[in-house]
Amino acid sequence: MGRYVVRRLLQMIPVFIGATLLIFLMVNVMGDPIAGLCGDRQCDPATAAQLRRDFGLDKPVWQQYATYMGNVFTGDFGTAFNGQPVTELMGTAFPVTIRLTLIAILFEIVVGIVLGVVTGLRRGRPVDTGVLLLTLVVISVPTFVTGLLLQLLLGVKWGWIDPAVSSAAPFAELIVPGLVLASVSLAYVTRLTRTSIAENRRSDYVRTAIAKGLPRHRVITRHLLRNSLIPVVTFIGTDIGALMGGAIVTERIFNIHGVGYQLYQGILRQNTQTVVGFVTVLVLVFLIANLVVDLLYAVLDPRIRYA
Amino acid sequence: MLLEVRDLHVEFRTRDGVAKAVNGVSYGVDAGETLAVLGESGSGKSVTAQTIMGILDTPPGKVTGGQILFEGRDLLTLKEEERRKVRGAGMAMIFQDALSSLNPVLTVGDQLGEMFTVHRGMSRKDARAKAVELMDRVRIPGARERVRQYPHQFSGGMRQRIMIAMAIALEPRLVIADEPTTALDVTVQAQVMDLLAELRREYRMGLILITHDLGVVADVADRIAVMYAGRIVETAPVHDIYKAPAHPYTRGLLDSIPRLDQKGRQLYAIKGLPPSLTRIPPGCAFHPRCPMARDVCRTDVPPLYEVTDAPSERGSACHFWRECLHG
Repeated sequence: MGRYVVRRLLQMIPVFIGATLLIFLMVNVMGDPIAGLCGDRQCDPATAAQLRRDFGLDKPVWQQYATYMGNVFTGDFGTAFNGQPVTELMGTAFPVTIRLTLIAILFEIVVGIVLGVVTGLRRGRPVDTGVLLLTLVVISVPTFVTGLLLQLLLGVKWGWIDPAVSSAAPFAELIVPGLVLASVSLAYVTRLTRTSIAENRRSDYVRTAIAKGLPRHRVITRHLLRNSLIPVVTFIGTDIGALMGGAIVTERIFNIHGVGYQLYQGILRQNTQTVVGFVTVLVLVFLIANLVVDLLYAVLDPRIRYA
Repeated sequence: MLLEVRDLHVEFRTRDGVAKAVNGVSYGVDAGETLAVLGESGSGKSVTAQTIMGILDTPPGKVTGGQILFEGRDLLTLKEEERRKVRGAGMAMIFQDALSSLNPVLTVGDQLGEMFTVHRGMSRKDARAKAVELMDRVRIPGARERVRQYPHQFSGGMRQRIMIAMAIALEPRLVIADEPTTALDVTVQAQVMDLLAELRREYRMGLILITHDLGVVADVADRIAVMYAGRIVETAPVHDIYKAPAHPYTRGLLDSIPRLDQKGRQLYAIKGLPPSLTRIPPGCAFHPRCPMARDVCRTDVPPLYEVTDAPSERGSACHFWRECLHG
């Protein structure tokens, strides 16, 4: 196990370098980062050259990348063009997005798994057909439609929630955005759990558990659920990374100043440092989430042993 | 009588129609007795067993008639909660494939101990000690260490021993073993069967041994019930049946055992295939494959005739059992 973790951590290095280099290069071809700094007017050439020198933009790209990565590892993600350190932006954005992601994951776990178990145990019944249809609708409708619709109905028409989340973004205000963020994954979790439960329900070890005279709830929770949730846990784990980076649409709709919002702003304003910095952290989150999922897999299924 | 099955009928509703899996099966097992239920796949032997245990998948399965008397109580009329308490404690079942029948993500200690925590309300610690004891009892070496292992870490024979240990955990009065050795190596088969026979003697359990292997039956069974297309076609004490079968189907089965003194000769096989359970032939279900079939076999369903010529109690569902017995 220990050796496996070390190997996996070592494997993460090339992936990390590759991913960050890619994003670094992509941001660089986006256009001249200096161009947007002087407002609507063309920058005065002397100022532009000065800014380029200050930001190290006159050096070759590989050198820029090396310098940047060197700084990243000392905790310096550079300065946004407005003079604010990127780490400061992260400090305000990440807690908000983490809260949002946490709510989304909670929805996936609680609602998704419960619906999946219920439908899996009642395959072909009206509950099953109804939920299945609902998941299909949720999956096919884009997030911005669900988001805007909920905002319009709950926020504007019925006034149950504030249409926009305040800048402090406390948990209570993030519930509806969290649900919107989770919606598509929630539908997938439901379907995945349903299939898994229905499949395992007919398995020999469940039959054994019934033959042992165990009460129904014990057969379901201890024998059926434990086995059926292995693929679901894997899905939810990998989804953490996707949710954190993929909240751009949801954060825009509800005006949440999280990672997605900052990324969006960064891209709009060609704020290279912000974009690269945030993406670098997201790459890390993604890699770690994947590693944790793989390790969790071995915990859940003893037949998998890493060496 | 410990267990008495009376005129049991079980159907499956499938897309191709109603499959009549069990059509009026009656048999009984006494305490300490071993009944071997013999038959090809699809003969209804496993479905009967699952119905006795109450683990039939319903739907698609449905019990459409009959009684299952266990220690005098009709199990089919019990409430599910009562029925559950009988399972595991009063009667237990050993399945064919121990690898898929044991839960892959729980240790064998947990799976054995569960019997005691659930049925006897023991603490986890005591249940764990009981699990070790049971593993010792079925002669698994190093039980104390191996109790923490998972099913996949055991060999096929050892896994089947764990299944047996789980079945005898609460010292049930009846054990149903559904093809307990089919998935095992031949050398291991004998060991597992011996262990099962030994435990049956020790605890004076009734044992229903479901198999299609006539070789296994001869050594351990007291009585045999041969099933075909959801009916019992012959029932007799084990030695009588080997000496002189009273049903052409049993005779066919016995003739298809390879024998050392007939080396080199072509092995006998019953011609044709077992009937589809959605379209069981009229009259005697075996008549399309029977070498002795006559007109009456195509129209009249033979009842289970009492074989009066025999010194012991036996029955045959063949219109011409006398001919078969003496021919």
